[in-house]
Amino acid sequence: MSTQNLKTIVIAGGGTAGWMTAAALAKTLGRRYDIRLVESDEIGTIGVGEATIPMIQRFNAVLEIDENEFIRETQGTFKLGIEFVDWGAKGESYMHGFGRIGQDLGLLSFDKYWQKLSRQGRAAPLGAYTMSTSAAYAGRFMRPRPDMPNSPLKDITYAYQFDAGLYARYLRRYAERLGVQRIEGRITDVRLNGESGFVESVRLANEEHVPGDLFIDCSGFRGLLIEQTLEAGFEDWSHWLPCDRAVAVPSANAGAPSPFTRATARSAGWQWRIPLQHRTGNGHVYCSRYMSDDEACAVLLANLEGERLAEPRMLRFQAGVRRESWRRNVVAIGLSSGFMEPLESTSIHLIQTAIARLVEFLPDAGFDARDIAAYNRLARQEYEWIRDFLILHYKQNRRDDSPFWRDCAAMEIPASLRQRMDLYQAHGRILREGTELFTEVSWLQVMNGQGLVPQGHHPLVDQLSDAALFDYLEDVRKVIAQCVNVMPTQADYIARHCRAPAP
Amino acid sequence: MQLDSQIRKVVIVGGGTAGWMAANALVQFVPPGCSIRLVESEETGIVGVGEATIPTINAFNAALGLDEDEVLRRSQGTFKLGIEFRNWGQVGESYIHGFGVIGRPHGLLPFYQFWLKAWMRGEAAPLEDYSINTAACLQNRFARADAGMANSPLGEVAHAYHFDAALYADYLRERAVKLGVVRTEGKIVEVRQRAGDGFIESLRLEGGESVEGELFLDCSGFRGLLIEQTLKTGYEDWSHWLPCDRAVAVPCASAPALTPYTRATAHSAGWQWRIPLQHRIGNGHVYCSEYMSDDEAASILLANLDGEALAEPRPLRFVTGRRKKSWNKNVVALGLSSGFMEPLESTSIHMVQSQIMRLLAQFPDKRFAQADIDEFNRQADQEVERIRDFLILHYKLTQRMDAPFWRRCREMDIPDTLRAKMDLYQSSGRIYREASELFSHVSWLQVMHGQGLRPQAYHPMVDHLPDAVLRDFVGNVRNVIGSCVNAMPLHADFVRQHCAAPGSVSP
Repeated sequence: MSTQNLKTIVIAGGGTAGWMTAAALAKTLGRRYDIRLVESDEIGTIGVGEATIPMIQRFNAVLEIDENEFIRETQGTFKLGIEFVDWGAKGESYMHGFGRIGQDLGLLSFDKYWQKLSRQGRAAPLGAYTMSTSAAYAGRFMRPRPDMPNSPLKDITYAYQFDAGLYARYLRRYAERLGVQRIEGRITDVRLNGESGFVESVRLANEEHVPGDLFIDCSGFRGLLIEQTLEAGFEDWSHWLPCDRAVAVPSANAGAPSPFTRATARSAGWQWRIPLQHRTGNGHVYCSRYMSDDEACAVLLANLEGERLAEPRMLRFQAGVRRESWRRNVVAIGLSSGFMEPLESTSIHLIQTAIARLVEFLPDAGFDARDIAAYNRLARQEYEWIRDFLILHYKQNRRDDSPFWRDCAAMEIPASLRQRMDLYQAHGRILREGTELFTEVSWLQVMNGQGLVPQGHHPLVDQLSDAALFDYLEDVRKVIAQCVNVMPTQADYIARHCRAPAP
Repeated sequence: MQLDSQIRKVVIVGGGTAGWMAANALVQFVPPGCSIRLVESEETGIVGVGEATIPTINAFNAALGLDEDEVLRRSQGTFKLGIEFRNWGQVGESYIHGFGVIGRPHGLLPFYQFWLKAWMRGEAAPLEDYSINTAACLQNRFARADAGMANSPLGEVAHAYHFDAALYADYLRERAVKLGVVRTEGKIVEVRQRAGDGFIESLRLEGGESVEGELFLDCSGFRGLLIEQTLKTGYEDWSHWLPCDRAVAVPCASAPALTPYTRATAHSAGWQWRIPLQHRIGNGHVYCSEYMSDDEAASILLANLDGEALAEPRPLRFVTGRRKKSWNKNVVALGLSSGFMEPLESTSIHMVQSQIMRLLAQFPDKRFAQADIDEFNRQADQEVERIRDFLILHYKLTQRMDAPFWRRCREMDIPDTLRAKMDLYQSSGRIYREASELFSHVSWLQVMHGQGLRPQAYHPMVDHLPDAVLRDFVGNVRNVIGSCVNAMPLHADFVRQHCAAPGSVSP
């Protein structure tokens, strides 16, 4: 019987992961648990400008957060997708837009028809048939119109870009209102039970002990509890995702913020651009084997659109995954559970799914090994799916201008990714694994955008005559273009609904 | 260029349920200019007995644009809300595996977690009272889901059908032929392969006619004329997990109440199905020949009919397992030629339709890209393994000690995937649905609970609700379902009103 419930949950670390966890647990578990969060003002958080994916709306819905308030408080903007510049080859670009593409017909998805017309050289780029992408390029935004079931306006799919520091502060206020107790202090020691090896308490610099039944490790890269104490182990993926450093700097906005994130490939990595209301977040992710820190910094500063607003900050990391993200009574959430570069804005998503999974597998005092094994298996699977999607961006390049990109094009890739690329190459078909995060259209946009070309189209497309095929695609394209024209600019939309006060 | 590589000739071998289902779907979706020919012989009988389906059949019928009432009229069909299992956990016990949903979720948790706590405390009624499907079964009532009542259990009724498989095949044959499928009557005496790669080129019929094709669908049944007898694809035997290897089938006269469910009654070395149609009841006894003789199996069957037997009992033999590849070269196996699992959860027709949909999704051109074929086979394997695990669960999870057959089932080794599911449920009442798995947590719950697996705990978050609120919540769900069921017509009346077959005597 479920009588031996846990009483005290201790969250170690108060960055984005820590406060997201605190807020969500406080909301979903109610006051039957003591939730405490230990953080030190001495320790900085990694959070830079953060971009998200549409799944974050589910998280906000569980928290019952008012979207306009949340955007105002975090200097947020809307995000319709990610533009990739110079990835497939220098001078090329494409958008990975959120939401659906075109309008399906019969048994087949829209892209199967587009593939055929495109091979005949008669189709516009994929983005012209994608509501989110078309709006993003036009700098326009509005929330979708579910009341218009026959219009692509119902298909607008969005996420947010916001200041992660402000987001953590916003969630902290939220969590404290619901009874989460914040304890200021640096953790200096972790005490284990002599028999079970479970964490009993953490000791702070001021000698105070914070005891708990369940510990959530949100301490970042180092993994204070999960790794430094419990030695859960780390699986290195840097042979597939070789970038290991980043340098970040904010800059002044040059014009109105665009409703998309940009990722521009550089000679040994890539640069992000995340436009917020009050400034733009920038960063350069690179591989130290191919580029020095000084050079990386110089490349970043030479490629800002507005005036630099602070000193560049350096970050170091290693791509990979914690072998067990739940061990004994410690669950790692956020960077302590693994790291993948923010190329597809998955960091916050991984935090939120870890929280949802923890709630689903919430233990009682028995900490059943079978529950923990299931949790770890699911966590691992999610990491691998995202990993494959990221590797695709590096593997599928036709750049010949630097050793970094040549080596990426030549690298061995996981069999799971190989299989997907082969299948697409045969007839433009895309496999989506069960509950995988990225949908068929995400895979499509990146594979197509980086120049992977199918050898044939889906045979059933030939049911339509060439003329009917052309008319069908043109119709979709025109309707989307008309819809974009009725949308407000993002600047107007924000001004009307959620303008943040000047910082 | 692609135009030259387009498939122009599809040949379907075998005209049972699988063959005619495939013919209908293909003629609807392949491009014009591609001919579809089905070769069948009236000499060869089909296996199809009374067939029961699961709700995914609705998607197939909808894709084809079939009218549900017409299908049922033509096939003496009735509606099905679930399957009743008798004597599986213990002799004398029974439970229903109903389609659809149970209760309604609260917060982040599915309903059954709340029910579990109430039930553990002796404060809840049996699980059947909390789902519109199962509650309606207990009263022999039926109505289609009412789309206008999205917030009521009446909007959640999930149904499938029982029908006469031979009549269903007749109906589909007539329709396919009307839409342009060419039916060829004849016995295949030779299969010709292309030199070099062994792809199948043509079939020679008795009388000398040659039937050429580019893509062949093997719907020839157990024997697998093309996939196995010609291509030697190989078969993976699963009879150590699902040991029944024979069946004997017989129709009988209808009984007074028309039940909206299939019944599966465990006997001492297998189980008996009961499928109520409009004009008769289909019955069959699936058994393990190691533990029971054919004569004994037939006499048990005949002793357990609800009405007078209407024909001689027909014996069937099979080996549970799967074809190692259901797509090999230019042959795709559909139906029994791709593998066999007993009809305990009515999955046979489902597997035919999902193979057809998968074939359309991966439809080849003349190059027969290996990546497409591999993906087809990977998905097919995944689906069939998860169904296999679900079937094994019924045998493994028994407390019966009254027969050597059941004792052996209790003790058998099971696949790790199934072990993990049972362990997880037992430790904490949690059920995890694997990616794209057919059966949902609702199905697993009903069988695991129905056969006596008891979790050590419910979800800790359930304790969030104060006891009185929990009682009210669970009680309220039951009351609402109870009153909804009372508003539904009797199944027999519903059938009579909407889809009575001409000439059938509705009970």
